[in-house]
Amino acid sequence: MANFILRKAESKDVSDILRLIKVSKVGDMVQHFVDLLEDGFGDHPFYHCFVAEVPKDQQSSEGYTVVGFAMYYFTYDPWIGKLLYLEDFYVMEEFRGFGIGSQILKVLSETAVKTRCSSMHFIVAENNTQSIDFYKRRGASDLSLEEGWRLFAIQKEELLKITAK
Amino acid sequence: MANFILRKAESKDVSDILRLIKELAKYEEMEEQVVLTEKDLLEDGFGDHPFYHCFVAEVPKDQQSSEGYTVVGFAMYYFTYDPWIGKLLYLEDFYVMEEFRGFGIGSQILKVLSETAVKTRCSSMHFIVAENNTQSIDFYKRRGASDLSLEEGWRLFAIQKEELLKITAK
Repeated sequence: MANFILRKAESKDVSDILRLIKVSKVGDMVQHFVDLLEDGFGDHPFYHCFVAEVPKDQQSSEGYTVVGFAMYYFTYDPWIGKLLYLEDFYVMEEFRGFGIGSQILKVLSETAVKTRCSSMHFIVAENNTQSIDFYKRRGASDLSLEEGWRLFAIQKEELLKITAK
Repeated sequence: MANFILRKAESKDVSDILRLIKELAKYEEMEEQVVLTEKDLLEDGFGDHPFYHCFVAEVPKDQQSSEGYTVVGFAMYYFTYDPWIGKLLYLEDFYVMEEFRGFGIGSQILKVLSETAVKTRCSSMHFIVAENNTQSIDFYKRRGASDLSLEEGWRLFAIQKEELLKITAK
């Protein structure tokens, strides 16, 4: 198997994107189809996606032709300007080893350069050595290690407490 | 001194925003790393598609800073997306001039940011903090922030422009 194409996701891809998000993560939270549709393909997209598609005769064992995706958006660094932020990146297990992941990363890199971004940022779990190696082989640097950055969150219930003060 | 207002930044504020960005960078001893110009800030924040949003804190003219500034603090944020839970508010930069600290400007900025996050149906507000910046870490922890790097092991990675170009050339 070597045939695949990478293309910009369209609104018709939302159910495949939701399926791949669910498969790529283990968790209790469930995103909703309607939100994904509105948030990505409404007047103001909050994210962008590329999908990897194979021909019908090479579909997955369950009959899917959309076999991988990458979700990204633009962020901003007050020192250097626009950045491309890679949020999610997944290729179905039966379609790995054919260069789909590398091609996705190439298209993302081209997008970053074309849109005049200074860098591509993303987070990786420290125990995900496979992904860390994949990215390091392609020139990624660990800013948490080098510069000591830690990611913090103030969840909704805490935000509401702040607004009530 | 207790009089200040918080308001949405306008295009006329870009020179003050850049000044405060540089002041914060100077405090981190990284001032020469700020390559962004007023023109970039104007285009990127007040064009057809804003890549960031800002609030600024302003004092009356009679309470201006020792160098004559009335815009004395700012917060820069934008919206990010979590495939599981949807929209998030990402706090990128947050700074109040030293001579105007201790008057509640920082707390008020955080309150307005929280209101914005709730109003725009964001599930959470995210931001990064340097692990040695104990003062900021305490400020945020007092307001309910959790350290996801510590709890979940997340590490921030970057592929810089020169490396991106190498990938595109393959």
